[in-house]
Amino acid sequence: MKSFWKTSLIVCVIASFALVGGIVPTAKAAPKVIKIGVIYPLTGPAAAAGRELRAGAELAAKICNNVMPGIDMPMAKNAGIKALGGAKIKLIFKDHQGNPQLGADLAKQLIKDDHVVGILGCYYSSVTKTVSAVCERYGVPMINGSSTSPALTKRGFKWFWRTTPHDKYFTEDLFKFLVGLTQGKVKGVKPVPKSDLEPIVSACENTEWGSHVSGLIKTMAKKYHFKLAKSILYAAKAPDLSAEVQSLIEPKPGTMLFASYISDAILMVKTLKSMKAHPKIIWGQDAGFEKPEFRSTLKDNIVGVLTRTVFIPSIAKVKKVAGEVNALYKKKTGHDLGGASARSFTGLQAWVAILEKAGSTNPKAIQKAANTIMIPGEYLVVPWKGIKFSTSGDEIGQNVLGSGMIGQYQKDASGNIVLQAVYPFELATAKMIYPFKGF
Amino acid sequence: MGAFTSGMIQSIVSALLMGMVFALVALGLTIIFGVMNIVNFAHGEFLMVGMYACLLFSTMTGLDTLASLPFAAIVGFLLGVMCYYGLVKYLLRGPMIAQLFGTFGLMLLLRNLALLIFGSEPRIAHHGILVGRSFVIGHGIVLEATKLTAAGFSIILFLTVSWILNHTKVGKALTATALNAEAARYMGIPTERMNALAWGIGGATVTICGALLVNFWPVDPNIGLLFTMIAFATVALGGFGNIKGAFYAGIIIGFLIYIPTFWDTTTMAIGDKALRGIHLFSFKYTFVYLAYFLIMVFRPHGLFGIKE
Repeated sequence: MKSFWKTSLIVCVIASFALVGGIVPTAKAAPKVIKIGVIYPLTGPAAAAGRELRAGAELAAKICNNVMPGIDMPMAKNAGIKALGGAKIKLIFKDHQGNPQLGADLAKQLIKDDHVVGILGCYYSSVTKTVSAVCERYGVPMINGSSTSPALTKRGFKWFWRTTPHDKYFTEDLFKFLVGLTQGKVKGVKPVPKSDLEPIVSACENTEWGSHVSGLIKTMAKKYHFKLAKSILYAAKAPDLSAEVQSLIEPKPGTMLFASYISDAILMVKTLKSMKAHPKIIWGQDAGFEKPEFRSTLKDNIVGVLTRTVFIPSIAKVKKVAGEVNALYKKKTGHDLGGASARSFTGLQAWVAILEKAGSTNPKAIQKAANTIMIPGEYLVVPWKGIKFSTSGDEIGQNVLGSGMIGQYQKDASGNIVLQAVYPFELATAKMIYPFKGF
Repeated sequence: MGAFTSGMIQSIVSALLMGMVFALVALGLTIIFGVMNIVNFAHGEFLMVGMYACLLFSTMTGLDTLASLPFAAIVGFLLGVMCYYGLVKYLLRGPMIAQLFGTFGLMLLLRNLALLIFGSEPRIAHHGILVGRSFVIGHGIVLEATKLTAAGFSIILFLTVSWILNHTKVGKALTATALNAEAARYMGIPTERMNALAWGIGGATVTICGALLVNFWPVDPNIGLLFTMIAFATVALGGFGNIKGAFYAGIIIGFLIYIPTFWDTTTMAIGDKALRGIHLFSFKYTFVYLAYFLIMVFRPHGLFGIKE
């Protein structure tokens, strides 16, 4: 009997310690802070893009963590994640410097040392590839908002979701646009003979992303029956592009297509100018061609240049929420949202919506929520129909409701160089300048 | 004139201009090696200093980048002299390995200082008399003003240095120091000052080159490595310490870098689809490194050097 009382006493003492100290959790309390690792190129040649991406993600986190009645999206209605007791989003930024191996190391660090709930990143497709492989190995969810290599969602990964449409859609948009140009569908331009747009030449940087774009250009040129005279790959972060440009202008191209990050894009246009290139169309596959530095550095030289984009400030005219968020972003950074910042914003917005739906930080719950989520387009700053990830077929984790835009640099009434939408044709915000006036 | 001919002429002209620029990059390295038998691993970083000096000067004064050439030359000369008296002089007392590691350390120091001061983002001159200008000399052949000017300065500097070395008292003292420092000392030549002068001239030529390059070539703190490699390849090809050889070797390097363009023009003319699909632009510097490797293995004294 004595031993019974003694045992009971010991059990009670242990139980009380357990309750107070949390050795045996009675019910798991919701975390006060949800850590999300954000891996972007914050230094190096793409540092300008990195700044934009960071500002976009930070703004989304700010809207999520505070009640903002002026913003017409669900995450602005509550302070923090409502389903997790108002837990605040905390972003932990890491700089991959454009280095895939460093990106993978940083992902491990975020998962093992910082214990992040998930990861957002990484802009460079090559880095996204290695980081997502780490996340897959550790079973940690990763959302990618801005890498557009189609291969990324063709690996059958279970922990990787991509909100942005990828290069296949964007490149096809370009060829649909060229066809539209020959059919007189482009605002302000009479039907253009196809021969004026030919031959097409392309130059893409030789990392994962550029190589894929180059391949897609070849495929689409064949599909839409355009003559592709040259399609070259050049070393990324090239210090000199005169040999490449010389080769590009040799067949006297009607259309020149590029996939370049910012330092290459600026150098490319400068070299085109000094080598006196005069195509009728110059089109950049977003990235460097859409960064604020591209505009501020090259000024009048880029009037008439086209770029694939996902966000143009003038779409605020038709999309209220885009205008509201753009106003906040402009207040924060001094310039408008661009393709990179808008997608980074949307990537984090997707994270918030998924956590809200999951109501838990358990990876399995997040995975289930991501696979079943549907964010309507009306809540997005980008002109997509929404966000819904594919869970079957050959593109697991790809947002199937995204779409691209094509913008053209034009001068506004006050002489500023702004991006005007020329595609989709129904969303055109200005008459297109055709042909490119030259340098 | 057909597309093939004009394409070829354009490639030859561009390769020549770039080659002369690469020769100028290597001039300083070959002077220093010629006089002191020491390899300066920080040579590319000297060039980077010249590029940043030019950008700083034109930003602060609002003057054209061309006006910064004397400033860049002074910066380069002082940098060279300071490096000699502050570091190289002491390294010379040690074994060869100390000299190698010493200038390697200098390279890291300059690179990281630049990273600290300027950050890692690439910068380039966006405005200026030369920037973005070019001339069409007929049949669509374009001469870029920036490269034409740099090539012109390369010829001027090579001629000036050759003249100084062959026709002035100081030059003869430098040559004497290069041939036999001990004998030169016995003859009353202040060899230490000559060494410092070689570093000064080497520094000045490469910073002038940097100031010309920044009109068409972006600078970042890591740019030095590429130019150090190109300069090494040029000096190896031309023969270590051989100034004339460096000039010709620079031109060869220019042609090596333009191999992808020659290939492209040729395959376009042939019209073979399979050949046209092979693009070599991703490997353009590989040809330079390959030539460097081959010359070191099969002709270590260079194409224009004399076998010891």
